[in-house]
Amino acid sequence: MSKPKIIIIGAGFTGVATAHDLALRGFDVTVVERGDIANGTSGRTHGLLHSGGRYAVSDQESAIECIDENMILRKIVPQVIEPNGGVFIAIDESDLSYAEEFIEGCNACHIPIQELTAKQALAMEPNINPKVIVAFTVPDGTFDPLRLALSFAGTAKKNGARFRTFTDMEQLLIDGQGNVTGVKVWDRARDVHEDLHADLVVNATGAWVGEIAAHAGAHVPINPTPGVMVAFDERIVQRVINRLNKPGDGDIIVPQRRMAVVGTTSFEVTDLDYVPVVEEQVKLMLERGIELAPGIRNTKMRGKYMATRPLIGKGSSGRSIARTFKCYDHKESDNIEGFVTITGGKATTLRAMAEKTADVVCQKLGVQAVCTTKDVPLLSYREYYSLNN
Amino acid sequence: MTEISNQSPVSRAGKWFDPRARSINMIGFILNRITALGLTFYLFLHLIVLHQLAQGPAAYDGFLSMIHNPVFTFFEVLVVTAGFMHALNGIRIALNSFGVGIRYQKMLLVVLMGIAIIVSLVFAVHMFTV
Amino acid sequence: MSTSKWTVTFKVFRKKGEEVPHYDEFKLEVDPDEYVLDGVERIWAFHDRSLTYRHACHHSTCGACGMRVNGVEKLTCITPVRDVTHDGGVIRVEPLRNFTLVSDLAVDMGVMYTRMDKVGQRSVNSDAKEAYQSENRPAGPAESGVDFIRLSDCIECGLCISACPITASSPEYLGPAVLAGAHQHGIKGDEQVFRLADCEDGVWRCHSAFECTAVCPSFVDPGERIMDLRKQIIGEQFRRLFSGSNARKINTMEASK
Repeated sequence: MSKPKIIIIGAGFTGVATAHDLALRGFDVTVVERGDIANGTSGRTHGLLHSGGRYAVSDQESAIECIDENMILRKIVPQVIEPNGGVFIAIDESDLSYAEEFIEGCNACHIPIQELTAKQALAMEPNINPKVIVAFTVPDGTFDPLRLALSFAGTAKKNGARFRTFTDMEQLLIDGQGNVTGVKVWDRARDVHEDLHADLVVNATGAWVGEIAAHAGAHVPINPTPGVMVAFDERIVQRVINRLNKPGDGDIIVPQRRMAVVGTTSFEVTDLDYVPVVEEQVKLMLERGIELAPGIRNTKMRGKYMATRPLIGKGSSGRSIARTFKCYDHKESDNIEGFVTITGGKATTLRAMAEKTADVVCQKLGVQAVCTTKDVPLLSYREYYSLNN
Repeated sequence: MTEISNQSPVSRAGKWFDPRARSINMIGFILNRITALGLTFYLFLHLIVLHQLAQGPAAYDGFLSMIHNPVFTFFEVLVVTAGFMHALNGIRIALNSFGVGIRYQKMLLVVLMGIAIIVSLVFAVHMFTV
Repeated sequence: MSTSKWTVTFKVFRKKGEEVPHYDEFKLEVDPDEYVLDGVERIWAFHDRSLTYRHACHHSTCGACGMRVNGVEKLTCITPVRDVTHDGGVIRVEPLRNFTLVSDLAVDMGVMYTRMDKVGQRSVNSDAKEAYQSENRPAGPAESGVDFIRLSDCIECGLCISACPITASSPEYLGPAVLAGAHQHGIKGDEQVFRLADCEDGVWRCHSAFECTAVCPSFVDPGERIMDLRKQIIGEQFRRLFSGSNARKINTMEASK
């Protein structure tokens, strides 16, 4: 009996993790991606391996997802992670008043924290704002975005998944009953158009899921929400530094290699394919970064760019929407068979998103296969490019 | 690199010579290769000249009178220049190979090439006025 | 702070399949402080969707966006327009050299990745091990007592391999990135890596052009690392010669390259 064929549209975190999970469960997987791996939102993350601390008060479902997946990723793909932890620092009275809720929230979400005095915090991170009043350590980390995606993609490839990069999805193939049966693609590297058939198509295009789903006449309540990131050319802090307050703009510094990245903002946009950098937001990141670590003032800007987060749900302010993920079976929502959308979530929860999606795929196709990705160590990210594949 | 390995060694052979948009380091590398090729070619010529010696004094004298003209002297100056450039650059490369002076290798290159040119000019003056 | 816009012509290398390569020109309004990659992205988004190019992180950590800009290898996400041209000028964008072309500006760096694995270059390393002390390189970021784990300096962008004149004529040469990786891994404890470095396609093939160091965007300094490897290898070979323990194994590395 031949394996059921799945086409996944999108090779960002969600697409590659789902390809990995489905490949392990014995499916025949083809991933179609119009650029190269992680060239959309996923590649541009500052790389925060989330402890969930930021959501411990306002969005505990997300917070628990984060801390659980954080621990799993440290186990299955340590080769792309800087596991140096993070701190939440309170710089003024307003921050301090948040501390009690923060402690309660973290305890409720089993996020291990440790309170530090100002002196201890400064001893640990000499370059943070000397006005720090109190701090809490959290198990944050930094990961390399592309290499995290490549680790999943490479492992999936080794297990038989195929990756068609530089291949645009032009249309969904739809049968007489309005169900999806495949995708029509444009292989841009060879300038060739092709029809690819599948038993099920997974829409894993993140912020773009609405645009893709529209091809089938389906609807997904997605709110693409871009934000700016600014990279500075000195690793001014060794750990992730978070502002102890309600999630806001520019309240995190993520160190990586010899840089520090400050993020981010939230606003709305209609054209997802190119979001220009807004200078006022860059200035804001510089200011907020200096509040966390004054030495940033003396560093040089190394890069600035926009990344568009896939936020689910209605709402005008990007901050009030839940940061959880959801898998939509379009048979239920739009009476379209053969089509499933997975979106939302955070980079850290990619494996869990894939597990949920693969479970839905198995259930729809009547396949009995259990998820094993929690325990399967990923291969080196170089596997994806290896000549042996 | 498979595309490159598919090309024949002959068509690949000249690919190192591409100074476009490159830094001074590359100039040093290319100079070293060209002077090496030039000096090797000169070595063959030199052997031919020595062969003349073996033909006896008359053939040798004939040869000497032929080369006592400015064009040949010019080429001889080129040989001297090539020799100095290659030798001094070689010293820089040898030092680098032992981990010495890498921080200053660019400066060393410029200085040593400068010395090579100055010394060659001195030789040139001497060779043309004798 | 509003900088007035420049008008810049992007000349972009195009090649699909077996066709003859050519350059397409695009006149763009650019902010001189934005990056070359932003221009390429706008060309794809608004002018020509058939353009293929690689990019991911936009902040010099992934190594995907390496291209030749006006003939010189650059990481386009951190190369401001201001650095490579002027108002009314031209930016010529071409793929990296010495790699197989996939299409337009995207190349296949599979050979480099395969070799990186062979020399065991570590993607994450402790600060103490990564901060190799030499007259040319300062210590890594952490000078505190704690030895942090961090992603290594080399982002495997391939710029050094593209710039290396030796690789242009000898693709069997391991290349600066790979030899730097061998240096980072350490040859003293690992005979296999020692052999890879100490062979005719290893450190001895380098001819000190130092173009690799000139283009590296990530503090790796492959040129110096290759020279340091030579120093280490010579020292080790002398030691073996005089200590009598002859560790020479049959060179099976040739076959497995």
